[in-house]
Amino acid sequence: MDAFLLLDQWAFLIPLLMVVSFALVGLFGTRLRALEWGGWAAVGIGGIAMVLGVGIAIGEMLHPGTYVNAQYTWLHLAGTPGPFPEGISLVAGTLVDPLSALMLLVVTVVGFLVLLYSIGYMHHDRGLPRYYAELSLFLAAMTGLVLSNNLLEFFLFWELVGVCSYFLIGFYYEKPSAASAAKEAFLVTRIGDVLFLLGIFIYFFHFATTGPSGGWAANGFVFAHGTSPFLPTGSVGSSTLLTIAGLMILGGAAGKSAQFPLHVWLPDAMEGPTTVSALIHAATMVAAGVYLLAVTSVFIGFTATDQLAIVAVGGFTTFFAATMAVVHPDIKRVIAYSTISQLGYMVMAVGAGFAMVGLFHLFTHAFFKALLFLAAGSVIHALGTQDLFKMGGLRKPMRVTGTAFAIGGLALAGIPPFAGFWSKDDILGSMYGELGSHPLYWPFWILALLAVFLTAYYIFRAWFLAFGGNGPRDPTLPPAHEGSWVMQVPLVILSGMAVFGGLLIFVPGFQGLLLYGAGASGIPPVYGPTDLALSGISVTLGAAGIGVAYWLWGNGRIFVLPESSPLQPVRRLLLNRYYLKAAYDWVGARAVYGIARGADFVDRYVIDGTVHGFERAFGAASDRLRRGQTGVVSDYAAYVIAGLLGVFVLLLLVAPYLLAHLGGT
Amino acid sequence: MTTLPESGFLLLSGLLLGVGVFGLLTRRNFILVLIALEIAMNATILNFVYFAAFAPHAAGLSGQAIAVVLIGFAATEVAVGLAIVLGLNRLKGTIDVAQGNLLKE
Repeated sequence: MDAFLLLDQWAFLIPLLMVVSFALVGLFGTRLRALEWGGWAAVGIGGIAMVLGVGIAIGEMLHPGTYVNAQYTWLHLAGTPGPFPEGISLVAGTLVDPLSALMLLVVTVVGFLVLLYSIGYMHHDRGLPRYYAELSLFLAAMTGLVLSNNLLEFFLFWELVGVCSYFLIGFYYEKPSAASAAKEAFLVTRIGDVLFLLGIFIYFFHFATTGPSGGWAANGFVFAHGTSPFLPTGSVGSSTLLTIAGLMILGGAAGKSAQFPLHVWLPDAMEGPTTVSALIHAATMVAAGVYLLAVTSVFIGFTATDQLAIVAVGGFTTFFAATMAVVHPDIKRVIAYSTISQLGYMVMAVGAGFAMVGLFHLFTHAFFKALLFLAAGSVIHALGTQDLFKMGGLRKPMRVTGTAFAIGGLALAGIPPFAGFWSKDDILGSMYGELGSHPLYWPFWILALLAVFLTAYYIFRAWFLAFGGNGPRDPTLPPAHEGSWVMQVPLVILSGMAVFGGLLIFVPGFQGLLLYGAGASGIPPVYGPTDLALSGISVTLGAAGIGVAYWLWGNGRIFVLPESSPLQPVRRLLLNRYYLKAAYDWVGARAVYGIARGADFVDRYVIDGTVHGFERAFGAASDRLRRGQTGVVSDYAAYVIAGLLGVFVLLLLVAPYLLAHLGGT
Repeated sequence: MTTLPESGFLLLSGLLLGVGVFGLLTRRNFILVLIALEIAMNATILNFVYFAAFAPHAAGLSGQAIAVVLIGFAATEVAVGLAIVLGLNRLKGTIDVAQGNLLKE
């Protein structure tokens, strides 16, 4: 057997290694002072995991379209006459296929680089063992998620990455804003999680007796492959039940991937350390929603209604989030809105049936967005502020960081030959081919195209504000300096990926990662942008965005919107995030609190009232009975005699009556 | 076998039982309670003897034997009862039945 296929059998080692790292650093971190409080231990183990992950990805490139499923039956529930004659199996296992190999590559490489970068970035922080332990646990859960071979296991890891995200957003838990952001992220994504679970239930009942080899549920929800009756083109005809299930899955993905209307948590999640934002809230966890949609689309399929809903959510979010990034003064939040917007592209592509195209954008985006976050982290580390309007002129003292941010920005703006160009134009081009047969996709495609301009504008506005000009606008800031080598090396490596990541599609082996069920299945292959005219339009839009940014903000200029400008209300609307967060807070404070008070009343007076009522009734009854226990012998004698008389009455009067009337013998 | 004669004996034993139970429940003096218990007991013994007189030979003998055993039983019972009376008197300084309520605790 090929060594790489053997490696696929042992893929479970990757999450296991990270769990070991979690336990090691979590339990003994305070004793590993010489290793940066366990940080180097986590980096080392993360490095081994990265080697394994890259190895698995290379194996998949050498053997395109293969998959290796390793599983054991975790639980088997015996069959009952009725809906589940074959019983229900719950399995645990790993599945290495092009989808998971691609994700594994992203997660392990970005994870390792972020762990390394953290050594420098988190140097001054307290609670470092906690930080490295939580980051290790997150990587364990995330690699487990991408390797899951069935929906239930997927859901378990999905919840686990959610809780890690909660821990890490709230890392500075003594800050009220961080604690509240962590809670917000947890609760908002929880809405999506509940929908996801409902979707699993519906699939469970729908596919209990149908599906590959008998029954899907009976076979433990294991993702089926090319030969299955599911259409792997991303579409399964029309069925009301499946439509609802697909919408539930979309809800789960929208929660995790911060799509409208569940997007509010991601900008607030920037309260966590910047490294966490780079790893969890840019490259990996938020991509899990897109991955879920892709997996569902490939293995189960969506109905046409679902597809339209997914395209609508993705396309709208792309534009909607980009508009909010345009005005924001906080460098991290600008990138956070950008993440929401880019995730919208991916969701839209998966919805239109181009799962692998969406995943290609996920792949390139993970690297250049992590690069942007880590570069922003360098700036924050040096200056101690996130306010763009206090920065300026940083390109001179921070040459590496400034170049890295610019490369990330060019990749994000979709300027060739940077990575973002290939994947984003692939999405726009593939969608364009579908517009003829799906006229309802038009408005969302146009929104996504317009977002290209906004994207280029807001990211270069941030660059000009932070790195352009002659010096910091706030003279009280400390002098900027470049971070240590552990912070620069990840920037350089990620810059390389941001430049060449998109060109990888011209490497024949890499295409194997993006081909699913080669040939027969009908998943369109990815060859980068094919329509030159369309590419011309999108590149022109991107360049125009950069140009406008330079015109308004270049050379240290500050563009101030005049007070009398008719655009002022728009600016206020954008700065207040379309008042959606305020609306959600209102719903939380009024509606949910009202329901909670009602529930509290029921709990306190109805449920507890019943319980206490029984308690009081029995208490009173026993009190009465207790008074009979006088301890006086003659009273007991009286009870005995009364009892005896009672027995006589039963024997002599009641028993004959019963015998006579009930016909007993 | 002849039929049973007038049930005067049964009435007598019923009466004795009634007197005994009444005394048992109403008397406060422990010794009087014991005496009442003896009266009720004697009603039982009288019944045994009475029925034995009309029974076939073997059964009649066993009825009389039980009567004798019961007389012995009543004697032991009084012995135990009087011992309790002495104990109660030593403990509480009285032989009022109502005072013997330690079981209540």
